Amino acid sequence: MGVAGDARGRASSGLHLEAGPWRQALARRALPYALIAPALIVIVAVLGYPLVNLVWISTQKYGFRELIQHQGVFIGLQNFATILTDPQFLYVIRTSLIFTAVNVGLSMFLATLIALLLERVSRPVRILLSAGLVFVWATPVIPAVNLWQWMFDYEFGVVNWLLTRFGAGDYIHHNWFENPVQGFAVITIIVVWGAIPFLALTLYAGLTQVPRELVEAAEIDGARPWQVFRNVTLPIVRPLFIILFSLSTIWDFGVFNQVWVLLNQRPNKDYFLIAVYSFQESFRVSKYGLGAASAVVMVAILAVVSIFYIRETIRLTNEELR
Amino acid sequence: MNSRKLLFTVATAFALLAAACGGTPSTNNTGNETGTLTVWLMNGSAPQSVIDGVNADFKAKHPNVTVNVEIQQWSDVTTKLDTAFAGSTPPDVMELGNTLVAKYAAAGALQDISSKKSSFQNSGTWLQSLTDSCTYQQKLYCVPYYAGSRAIIYRTDLFAGAGVQVPTSMDDLMTVGQKLMAKYGSDSRFSALYFPGKYWYAAAPFVWDFGGDIATQSGSKWQGAINSAQSQQGLTEVKNLVSALSRADKTGDEAKQDQTFAQGHVAMMIANGWEVGVITDPKSGDPSLLPKLGAFPIPSHNPGQTAPVFLGGSDLGISAKSQHQALAQEWVGLLGGDKFQTQMVTVGGVIPNSTTLTSKSSGLPAIFAAAAKTSRFTPNSPNWASVESANVLQDMLVSIFTGKSTIPAASSTAADKITQILNG
Repeated sequence: MGVAGDARGRASSGLHLEAGPWRQALARRALPYALIAPALIVIVAVLGYPLVNLVWISTQKYGFRELIQHQGVFIGLQNFATILTDPQFLYVIRTSLIFTAVNVGLSMFLATLIALLLERVSRPVRILLSAGLVFVWATPVIPAVNLWQWMFDYEFGVVNWLLTRFGAGDYIHHNWFENPVQGFAVITIIVVWGAIPFLALTLYAGLTQVPRELVEAAEIDGARPWQVFRNVTLPIVRPLFIILFSLSTIWDFGVFNQVWVLLNQRPNKDYFLIAVYSFQESFRVSKYGLGAASAVVMVAILAVVSIFYIRETIRLTNEELR
Repeated sequence: MNSRKLLFTVATAFALLAAACGGTPSTNNTGNETGTLTVWLMNGSAPQSVIDGVNADFKAKHPNVTVNVEIQQWSDVTTKLDTAFAGSTPPDVMELGNTLVAKYAAAGALQDISSKKSSFQNSGTWLQSLTDSCTYQQKLYCVPYYAGSRAIIYRTDLFAGAGVQVPTSMDDLMTVGQKLMAKYGSDSRFSALYFPGKYWYAAAPFVWDFGGDIATQSGSKWQGAINSAQSQQGLTEVKNLVSALSRADKTGDEAKQDQTFAQGHVAMMIANGWEVGVITDPKSGDPSLLPKLGAFPIPSHNPGQTAPVFLGGSDLGISAKSQHQALAQEWVGLLGGDKFQTQMVTVGGVIPNSTTLTSKSSGLPAIFAAAAKTSRFTPNSPNWASVESANVLQDMLVSIFTGKSTIPAASSTAADKITQILNG
């Protein structure tokens, strides 16, 4: 055990010089709990309470009338039965999963390339590139999506103008959102664009931790660049990869703003990702029970992903302590 | 500070606090009430001069009451209203779209003002359809505010240039549109009839004109009827018009149509009367278009007749949780009364809430008022608001216009969804 254990020992012996042995033992056990209590109280208040409330509402018939009276009617798992047999909800789940897979894959792939690039370019270029990434990261989502919306606008968008101008075909009055595949491609561009800065900069920070001499040794032994990356770099930054992968999955599975703002707050049902569906059922159609049930399904799916994240974090922490 | 002074200070503070919370009863003792009356009006409903006028008259009687008029946007107003009503201090007065009233009345969010009806000016001659929209289970829950109906706004200069006249039937509308397309269509942004894909309230007249409907009621059960043979005939007509005459965004909505019209690449557009003002607005539109604008009612498929239009409009409700019932009623009475309704007509160009005032419209607004003579309304059910919020009819139109789905398939899906939501 490292520093934490020493500190704990010192604290307990200093506090209870004259106490009996059982009191000492009790205090030694209670102290860590007392120390994490404030954080725990905050977490329970801001996360636990809403979560319990969400699950509670998902078991009730909770419409607008119930909202005003603050009183729902308990109906057990009926809301879940309703959404899980609704073909639209199943479509939503499928779309969300495909969307998440594509977006996480693309963001991770491009972010890795950019991180590797950052490692190799000269200092001024690296500063320029990092500054650019930070600016993207710093742009608030809503204005950013509005700018993208203008660029892809049906009537006045610069994208249609450019494509037509440079001979890619006739894109005057091309509607990017008529075909959901194209529409999702645009949404993917925006989501990936927004995700890359954090991923790339974090990965770059990770890559700087790879010992130079290991890479050199591999190169002397005749390893090709791809082999160096696969057999030397990757194993070292693997924990970081897993954490970023889990975080990306959580973010991309919950995508809402991009769809909502891009499609003028009235996306048609082809564009319902799970977060959009849940919002629509709750706040537009005033079926809060159904909306809560779909949110619970979303939380359950994400909990599975989080297990990887938490396991990796715990493993990392243990390694550091060892 | 000695204890007496302290006591005095505390007492004053409490008194002020009580006053700020509106603790003083607001009945009868005119002029002495204090507090704040919060009013939500919708974007584009009353011209600022009318709002200022109402507040000035109100202030003259109640100098110590502050009136806060907040302007809301149509696109997210149901969400905001739901949140406000769920809280303990919703606005005292709110403008509600006439299709939304049933939802809030049924949920007990609005104050029943049946017993006060006679105290409102013109309450005997209120527009029937607005009064109906305010009535839920024989009780009155709001005061009619204004009505609006849609007609076709057109460019007289473009019509003259193409040598066409105002159409007198739907077939004629198509012919006129085709001639306009032949004359001006080489401009790739030109639309003879600008029709964005989600514009349900412009498509409804075609459905109604062929005898179709959104839903029908038998007993307490609703049945979606948008897939009936007659409804499908109307939808076919709209689809043909849109594919031949419109280059508007097939997945877009009508929110930006006035700005698009003002840019000059549109010959005809289905619009509300007040949209003339937006088109010719010096900031967002083009004032030089005003002398070139005309309007005519949407023609029926029977030559010489006009198609029934959706009678839109707004009502003024008072929330049941309001602490200022009497003040709220008085404010609503002013905006709904003769003086300011007349201004709403002459300045705002809307259809007033009383039949005694309709004769005040002139010029283009009069054409819109006339178009409202054959008007229809959406199913009067507390669940109708959810059909609107769920975009059922908009989604149906988009899949029809983009060719993603056939008319029978898209309308059947929509009808099922409507049946399901209305029977909630």
